[in-house]
This record gives sequence, structure tokens and C-alpha cells, in this order.
Amino acid sequence: MINVNILEISHVSKSFGSNKVIKDLCFTVPEHSVFGFVGQNGAGKTTTMKMALGLLRADSGEILVNNEKVCFGENAANRFIGYLPDVPEFYSFMTPAEYLQMCGQIAGMNREDAKEKSWQLLELVGLGSVKKRIRGFSRGMRQRLGIAQALMNSPKLLICDEPTSALDPVGRKEILDILHSVKEHTTVLFSTHILSDVERICDRIAFLHEGSIALNGTLDEIRGVRRSERIEIEFFRSEDAQRFSGLYEGCIQTEAAKVVISPGGRGMTSVMEMLLQNNISVQRLEQLEPTLEDLFLEVVQN
Amino acid sequence: MKQFAAFTKKEILEQLRTGRLLILIIIFCLFGIMNPAIAKMTPWMMEMMSEQLAESGMAITTVDVDALTSWVQFFKNMPMALIVFLILFSGIFTTEYQKGTLINVVTKGLKRWKIFVSKESVMMIIWTLGCLTCYGITFGYNAYFWDNSVVHNVFFSAVCFYLFGLWLISVLGLASVFCNSAGSVMLALGAAFGASYLLGLFPAVKEYVPSYLLQAPNLLTGNVDVGDYLWSVLILLALIVMQSIFSVVVFNKKNL
Repeated sequence: MINVNILEISHVSKSFGSNKVIKDLCFTVPEHSVFGFVGQNGAGKTTTMKMALGLLRADSGEILVNNEKVCFGENAANRFIGYLPDVPEFYSFMTPAEYLQMCGQIAGMNREDAKEKSWQLLELVGLGSVKKRIRGFSRGMRQRLGIAQALMNSPKLLICDEPTSALDPVGRKEILDILHSVKEHTTVLFSTHILSDVERICDRIAFLHEGSIALNGTLDEIRGVRRSERIEIEFFRSEDAQRFSGLYEGCIQTEAAKVVISPGGRGMTSVMEMLLQNNISVQRLEQLEPTLEDLFLEVVQN
Repeated sequence: MKQFAAFTKKEILEQLRTGRLLILIIIFCLFGIMNPAIAKMTPWMMEMMSEQLAESGMAITTVDVDALTSWVQFFKNMPMALIVFLILFSGIFTTEYQKGTLINVVTKGLKRWKIFVSKESVMMIIWTLGCLTCYGITFGYNAYFWDNSVVHNVFFSAVCFYLFGLWLISVLGLASVFCNSAGSVMLALGAAFGASYLLGLFPAVKEYVPSYLLQAPNLLTGNVDVGDYLWSVLILLALIVMQSIFSVVVFNKKNL
């Protein structure tokens, strides 16, 4: 299968005044993936997304959406994109169906198609029975309507800017389920700083730190970066833990009867050997899977 | 065309549902009725006050009112209607920038010039209908109470004021492309009017500035020639076209 990139960002930089927000940013989003764009607040996620939509001018570099160059302002490549802003705002005097029908007609659909598609999408996001105007909508309902409007033009790329950040756990789950369900038809790029969301639905991630990509790859690749590095040992007695700490250099005691070690090149068998030689029995010996949080903190702190 | 129609439909729906259109209908109708009403009431008011005025030494003779009195009132009231109109529409672009509502439609592929032209057309159409309503009501009452034929060039004078309104609407559009708040748009409108008024103080150019059209009611008595206003009308129309083109060019590159 040929791997087609729906979004290609190459050597993009952007400054606001003297503040350089994006520094020589390069990454690609392959088709039919759910791409998590992770970074702290202020890392440049929204700026990057707005540049991909032609809403902000990039100082240098090139952005391609479906192999079409993105231009600032009047951007023809937008026809491939559905966009959900971080705080989606709508015309509050309209009903959700009226709003979606308008979006559909703007995207070039005729009245009947727009009507049908808007009902389908309202059902998908769970707003099918809502008749009231958008004015009275809750944050979660706005977010769901936001996804519906972003999908109205059947985009090849769905860009969501922190779609779950301000929602309660139920609302977050609903939004993530919707994003997961549209994966078949569209590529999803979503920015977030909530790592559990990334682990739940993404198959690729890029960590953005201080305006450039610090880590990029599939979820497994990224976890693999630090695999087999740390081992956690739980002892039956705290004395054993203390004794082992004295024997093993660079051992960190995390709890009374628990230590974490980084054996480096020595591997797990060397640790077992040492335990056997010193006749220390253990309750549990575990290769630690690095969590995304660990990786994120490592990226941020370095 | 489909895009333009869909967005324009939204604009009209907005004016209806936010009550803006209702306010304007009431105002234009009210002013339309007030013009002949004030003229009709003038002799009665004068009579009421004549005793007080007589005490202070002023003698009141019978006041004659006719269609001219009512039309003079029309040209006094219309600027007020225009100001209310401009205040109501001062946020037509800026509210959308502040809320970010245009981002959704632009990222759906709506051409920016269509947004601009749609908004400006809706404003101009409402202004046109408003002026026609106010003019029609005043004209009707005047014809009923008095005789409109004693007044000269009344339609042309009204058209001059109407065109002046169109020019300010186009200034509102231009200002909205640069400004991000309704307040600054109003300031820009004030500045544009001020500039036109100040230029009008110079005899060499006074017949060419838009605000010269505000003196068109001088035509009512028939002592001034309609041709005097021709240059001002032509320049104003050219300004509207140029301002609109320039606005669209800037709007195409605006950060929304």
C-alpha cells in the first residue's frame, strides 16, 4: 500500500514580534490515521493548525494539504479540510440544522444534499432531536456541533484543536468516540495536552516542544524509545530494599519496599543474578513500560 | 452563487432574529410619520406658546405650514435615522471577528469577497428600503394634508441624502476591514465624515466632497440648480466603488 501523506509540513517557522513560536517545524500526517499533536499550552499547536488552514501566514517553509500548497488568506486547499476550533463559535440565532445546512451549501452542496447530510451528522453527534437555537447550548453540545460542521464537507483531513480540553469525562468520552468512528473516512489531526486521550484513540503522535517536534512516530515506536530502560523491583520486606539499594549503583527507592533501577546495557538478567547471589527474594520484578506522561515530562524538562 | 446565497440568507436571518430589522422598520416609519406630524402641530404649538411669548414682548402672527415645512423636517430627521442605522450595523464585521464565527465558514471554502459583498449588500438594501419607507410615508401624508408640488426637486434631494448614506455604509465596510471593534469603526466613520466636512470648508473643493450632498435640501425652494450637485454625486459613486474594491483586497489577507 502506498503511504500517502494528507498533510506535509516542511521547514515552517513563525514569529509573533520577537517571539519565535514555531522553529523549522517538519512533520507529515499519513492518510487514515488519528494523529495526536501533543504539547504544552503555548507550545505552538494552534499556531501550526491555523497556518495549515491559511488563517495565519507562515514566515517561511511550505505546507501541503493533499499535495496542494496552502496559501494565506484565500486558501483553496481548505476544501479538503474540516476544522474544529478550540472554542467553536456559531451563529447563536440559528438552530443546529439551519447552521449545518448553511455550512453544506457553502461547501458547494445543493439544498437537498445539505439537508440530508446535516441530519445524518446531527444523529452521529447525538444532536438529532435538538430543536432549540444554538444560543442555549452547553459547552459539550457546542463541541459536538463543531465536529458535525467540520465533517459537513466530507473532509479528507479533520483538524481538531483541543476538542476535549474543557469537557467533563462523559463529554470527553463522547467526543473521542465520535473522532474514532470517523477514522474510516477521514484522517484526524487533533491537538491536546491530555495524554490519556492520545493513548485512547491515536495511532501516531508528534510531541511539539518550544516550536519544534521533539518526538514523532507511532504510539509503539515512541514507547519503544525508552523500552527496557527501567526495571521496578518490589521486595517482601523493606530491609531487602535497603540492602539492594546499597549493592546496586543508581538504584532509586520509590517506596519502603520498592526500587526502580536503570540497568542500561547490563539487562535484566544481571539484576536477577545479583539478587540470586545475595539471596534476596522478590515479590515482583517488572520491566516498566514508559507512560506517555513520562515521555512528555522528559521532553519538556530536557 | 450557492455560497453567496447561503451566506446572505444567514445575514438576513440575523437581522430578523436579532431584532435589528424590527428596530429599523420602527424608526423609519416613526420618522416618516413625525415629519408631517411636526409640521401639522407647529401652528398649534405656536398658539400654545404665544401667550408666554407675548409676555416677553414677542408677537406671534399666524404660522403658515405647507408641504415644504414637512420636507424640511424630513431632511432634519434623516441624519438621525442614519446615525442609528450606522450604530446598529457598526459591529456587523467586528462581532464576527471577536467571536471567530467567520473562521468556520472560511475554512468551509467560502470566498472572502463573498462575505464582504454579502454584508455590504444587506446593509445597502436595508438602507434603501428604509429610505423608501420614510420617504413614502412622508410623501403620502404631505400629499394628503398639503400639496407636494410647491416643493422643488424633493426626490433628487432625497436621493442625494440616500447616496450620502450609501457612502458612509461603504466607509463602515472599509473601516471594518481594518478595525477589530465596533467602537473603532464608529470612530473611523466620524473621522471620515469630519474629513469630508473640513474639506468642504475650502471653496475650491467644496462642491466635490460627499458631505456637500447634505446641502441638497437647498434645492427644495428651487433657487439652486440640480447640476451643482452632479460632480459630488459622481465622485461619491466612484468613492463607493473604489472603497469596496480596496476593502475586498485587504479583507482577503485579514487575520480572522
